Amino acid sequence: MVYFILKRMVQSVFVMLAVAFLAFSLFRFVGDPITQMTGVETSVKDQERLREELGLNDPFIYQFTRFTGDLLKGDFGFSYRTRQPVAKMIASRIPATLELGVVALIISLLVGIPAGVYTALKPRGVLTQTILMTTLVGVSIPTFVIGIMLIFIFGVQLGWLPTFGRGGTVQIGGWESSLFSVDGWRALLLPAITLGVYQLTLTMRLVRAEMTEVMRSDYIRFAMARGVPTASLHYRHALANTMVPVITIIGLQFGGVIAFSIVTESVFQWPGMGLLFLESIRFVDIPVMGVYLVVIAFFFVLVNLVVDLLYVAIDPRLRIKDVS
Amino acid sequence: MKTLKLALLGGALSMSAMGASAETFRWASNTDPQTMDPHAVNSAPVLSFLNNVYEGLVRRGQGMSIEPSLATSWAPLEGENGWRFTLREGVTFQDGAAFTSEDVMFSYQRASNEAADVRSWFAPVSDVRVVNDFTIDFVTTAPNPLFPDSIANFMILDKGWAEANDASLPARDAENFATMNVNGTGPFTLVSRDPGVRTTLSSNANWWDEASHNVSEAVFTPIGNSATGLAALLSGEVDFIQPIPLQDIAQVEGRDGFKVLEGEETRVIMFGFGHEHEALLYSADVKDANPFADPRVRLAAAHALDLASIDRVLFRGKIETASQLVPAGISGFSEANQDRPAFDPERAKALLAEAGYPDGFSFGLKCPNDRYINDEALCRAAASMFAAVGLNAELSTGPVRDYWPQLRADDFDMYLLGWSPGTFDMEHPIRFLLHSQDNDKKLGSWNFGGYSNARVDELLPQIQQEIDPSARQALVDEVVAITQEELAYIPLYTQPLIWAAKDNVDLTQRADNFFMLRWVTVN
Repeated sequence: MVYFILKRMVQSVFVMLAVAFLAFSLFRFVGDPITQMTGVETSVKDQERLREELGLNDPFIYQFTRFTGDLLKGDFGFSYRTRQPVAKMIASRIPATLELGVVALIISLLVGIPAGVYTALKPRGVLTQTILMTTLVGVSIPTFVIGIMLIFIFGVQLGWLPTFGRGGTVQIGGWESSLFSVDGWRALLLPAITLGVYQLTLTMRLVRAEMTEVMRSDYIRFAMARGVPTASLHYRHALANTMVPVITIIGLQFGGVIAFSIVTESVFQWPGMGLLFLESIRFVDIPVMGVYLVVIAFFFVLVNLVVDLLYVAIDPRLRIKDVS
Repeated sequence: MKTLKLALLGGALSMSAMGASAETFRWASNTDPQTMDPHAVNSAPVLSFLNNVYEGLVRRGQGMSIEPSLATSWAPLEGENGWRFTLREGVTFQDGAAFTSEDVMFSYQRASNEAADVRSWFAPVSDVRVVNDFTIDFVTTAPNPLFPDSIANFMILDKGWAEANDASLPARDAENFATMNVNGTGPFTLVSRDPGVRTTLSSNANWWDEASHNVSEAVFTPIGNSATGLAALLSGEVDFIQPIPLQDIAQVEGRDGFKVLEGEETRVIMFGFGHEHEALLYSADVKDANPFADPRVRLAAAHALDLASIDRVLFRGKIETASQLVPAGISGFSEANQDRPAFDPERAKALLAEAGYPDGFSFGLKCPNDRYINDEALCRAAASMFAAVGLNAELSTGPVRDYWPQLRADDFDMYLLGWSPGTFDMEHPIRFLLHSQDNDKKLGSWNFGGYSNARVDELLPQIQQEIDPSARQALVDEVVAITQEELAYIPLYTQPLIWAAKDNVDLTQRADNFFMLRWVTVN
């Protein structure tokens, strides 16, 4: 097991290097950082001097090796835009993104799994058809439209929930959390729902499809014939077997939730990593963009690892294989 | 032409509300100031924000005129070129240190250093001398009547504070203490700063000037997405937002308790040409000539534009057409040259035929899509108007971060540019847009098309040095007449300035798009 994890860790370094390389080769097309860093009155000569000082005239390979070399040494560099250390900027934005992603995931699971089970067990019910239709609409509308709609309904018209930002946060160690105050939760609700809608639909449809499949399988029929109580049949025997592929897909999707929270964060001015990334693109803040993409790659690798481990935990057959 | 609307809406009212109870004021804008260091970045979001905290020797009033701030008076030096500033006594920085001429000297050295982005303001300065604690001389290489105006945003730091905190120079690579902390003399002081999230200011009780605002605490939030910003205002979470998109005006006006503040920014939007290009870069039919080198072709392009329709359709009637590179009301505006080429497609076609292009030609038009209000839509409209007279513009648009490098690399046949005169004087666009490109002398740095006229080049130093206002205006008039005659640029219109606030907030909308908390009253 330790070997397995170590192997994954080594692989992740290569994944991150590859991402950094791809990102770096794209940065040249993003624009010119110097014109974004200086004012209109700055002379052409001063701009050139700054470009030289920042090493932007160096060949691509040289800039890339310098970036990765610094990263490996733990030096994440400084933002062109704010001059702050990039490590500090990204670290301060991680809690907001992670909490948003996790709460969105929990909402999608808490609603998606029961809804999936219900629609599988009562395929012809009116409620089932309603749920399927609603979620289809939900998944077809782009995220930012859902976000703006929620903001205008619950923020502007009804005035129940805040329209932007994180509200009241509580500092726990170095972690700025929204989860320990009512204000924090109020601010978290709309963005989490917005971010979770797609996940929710996916989870529900996946559970429904798997559950329908499992319910048709032989061992369920035998169990039914033996008179196993319905509740135990549905939730202990059928659902547990449904969950294996569901966990894989949901887990892999979670990396995407973190990475693509950019849109939700922008709509709700949610101060996470995605918003920071957007601001950085606007200012061609190459150091921040580079580190962000590497961090996101790391999250993907980490999530995949966790999914693999969960797989082992949930499916006894894999454990037996591992022992042998 | 109507004169520039300087939107003094709130100004008069704010006086009457003095003494009202202290209030928390929340506002939002689309860009977070990059730094709290007043010398590190010469950009409007930074200078606008920090003008609430730091102060200069002079400052701009509600109508943009220069008035005393940390200097109580200034006068030209006798026997040499330059200005003597008499400083205000009894002023203290927010940490309690006294303000003296040493701080001005230190701030000058800091702001004119290579690490400072604002150093271009001090290009004409050859020497600075401390005369005594409250007198300081700025010596310039030539007579410079505009110098006090040009340093309105030169903010003074406390020497002792900066040196004690290792912030003697602006941060260029890594941050320093002054990136996140302030110690100014201004009406507000920084309480907390979370870059990109929230910045909180509180009123400075020891401010030397009499406060006409009633804001005790001010919370600034950057909101990049304009729909989110509008929702934040309409839900009451912010009291004021700048700017709002044109299409949201009706939304705000349609609701009780909110108001839209409209004015004209000093920014003139214009089309520029590749004057010095040998040939068109993006033409399908004209390969080895540059038709835009012929003034008749440039004039034809100007006559093709129907600005009244553009105003009605794209700008809801909010723009003022422009005849020159600054709007009326800016010093140096040439009253004698207020006409602009009328919409006249027949005349445009005739001019093209006269120039040897009876069937027109195709060319490349470059435009930004995130820099000016409706910039991309404007260019689309203009392209179809050009096409109607035979000028087939192949439009390409892009974000501004990519756009300036293209212009600097001469990669255009025609391009869109907006210019706001930083000194609020006509000399500014002449220096940056009309003078021949000369990087050594730092002239013509935004004259991408390489427009060059020997007489204009000759007149610029005279304009800079002429002290007599009417003689100076005659020189400026000559430049405007020449560049209109040659149509160096096609000036289009001044960009509208649209802010929105709650009804109970009185504030002043200044034409440079700066927002000053010291003119805010919450009723």
